[in-house]
Amino acid sequence: MDRNGILDELVRELTSLPGIGRKTAQRLAFHILKQPSEDAERLIRTIRAVKEKLGLCRQCRNIAEGELCDICRDPTRDATRVVVVEDVTTLHALERTGGYKGLYHVLAGALSPLDGVGPADIRTQDLVDRIAQSKVEEVIVATSPTIEGEATAIYLSRLIKPFGIRISRIACGVPVGMDLEYADEVTLIKSLDGRREI
Amino acid sequence: MSLLKTPAVVLKSRKWGDADRIVTFFTLKHGKVRGVARGARRMKSRFGSSLEPFVHCDLVLFEKPGDTLYRISQTDIRHAFPSIRTSLEAITGAARLANLAGAVTADGDAVPRVFQALLEGLRAVGESGDPVLTAALYELEILRFAGYLPHLDRCNACQQRTNGGTWFFSPRAGGTVCSACVRQEPVRCPSVSPACLAFFRQALRMELALLPRLKPTAAIRNELYDVIELYVECVAGRRMPRTHGVTGEERVPGRSGWAGGKVAEKRPVYRSRAAAHV
Ligand SMILES: [Zn+2]
Ligand SMILES: [Zn+2]
Repeated sequence: MDRNGILDELVRELTSLPGIGRKTAQRLAFHILKQPSEDAERLIRTIRAVKEKLGLCRQCRNIAEGELCDICRDPTRDATRVVVVEDVTTLHALERTGGYKGLYHVLAGALSPLDGVGPADIRTQDLVDRIAQSKVEEVIVATSPTIEGEATAIYLSRLIKPFGIRISRIACGVPVGMDLEYADEVTLIKSLDGRREI
Repeated sequence: MSLLKTPAVVLKSRKWGDADRIVTFFTLKHGKVRGVARGARRMKSRFGSSLEPFVHCDLVLFEKPGDTLYRISQTDIRHAFPSIRTSLEAITGAARLANLAGAVTADGDAVPRVFQALLEGLRAVGESGDPVLTAALYELEILRFAGYLPHLDRCNACQQRTNGGTWFFSPRAGGTVCSACVRQEPVRCPSVSPACLAFFRQALRMELALLPRLKPTAAIRNELYDVIELYVECVAGRRMPRTHGVTGEERVPGRSGWAGGKVAEKRPVYRSRAAAHV
């Protein structure tokens, strides 16, 4: 294989993408090399369009074409409810369910005392400012049930309580379709804590 | 391919690839090890919550020749310390203990007494009404068993006994220095009041199980936190991840006045390997 040439440079660029090791990068590079020019051109155009046209929504930090994202612009969505997520991927997972009609707020990650990631790093103040300035009546914290997600949820509850609005945490418990006997200790405790009346 | 079985505490867990996790454990028999858990982030993963930080489990690892990363084959939870997860102060305290245990030991070196202090510390932090102080006291325990017991009975430079007068804590010397010798110290050495010194000595003499009974004043706590923060940083050879700002209580109130920003260098027991990151 050509050691210092442009193909190697492409492999290096691809390797810098998350989840792509050297072997995969080489396979992708050879594929691009062999593929018809118009296919490669289309990929280049799409990447350029994404970089030029997309940014973060001014209100919720979702991906947006322009100032506000599609969800914030949609007048049929309930602007009094906001679901807080750690990242855009979680927002899309929730959107796919089609079961939620309120708005979102995307943090820049989750608090991590283990890694020294603090409130300023994940931009919690943006959420506080938004609550202060808008007609939000309920905040639903949908961070992951990891130690980072739990820390973020506790921190947000302290931050938002003074506004006197409703704040809740998504239920954590046993996955649908799982046998209870296989659930581990932490999951079972969480599902007991999150029980509701029937 | 060889098989390792050992009790372990999860120090850190991070996402890897699409569905995997890379987990750093502090193990009883093999010290600090890193392993990959395939499919750990999938909904129906067999690992469940056992790879979450601070979980105490029985761990089975496969060693792959020529690979520094183990393959995590099985985990059985012994203690999950669920109460840690209900308070920010407890999460933060537990994180300080996990980071410290990782920072003062080298990869693959078993230090059973550090393992024990970490485990006791996690349990105590989870049960404590004052997790910030509890964590600080167990930080001292971890330092002690890693070979960094602070020496507080004399000046660590000129050997003068500590009775009366003003004393300082030198992170580099690993203990107290007198007001004359502190001038030779290259980095900031906070002064320690007689009350703080007395508290310090008492904490170091006490049995682990009795530590939660200690109730220092706010002033002593602040001195204590400042000294521990500086000492840990010096022993680890680097700044530890920041945890203040997350909880209401500032761990190091004196820190803002510190212009130096220089980390003192101490020769650790584990020399060059000691600074290995968690
Ligand atoms: Zn938006
Ligand atoms: Zn002296």
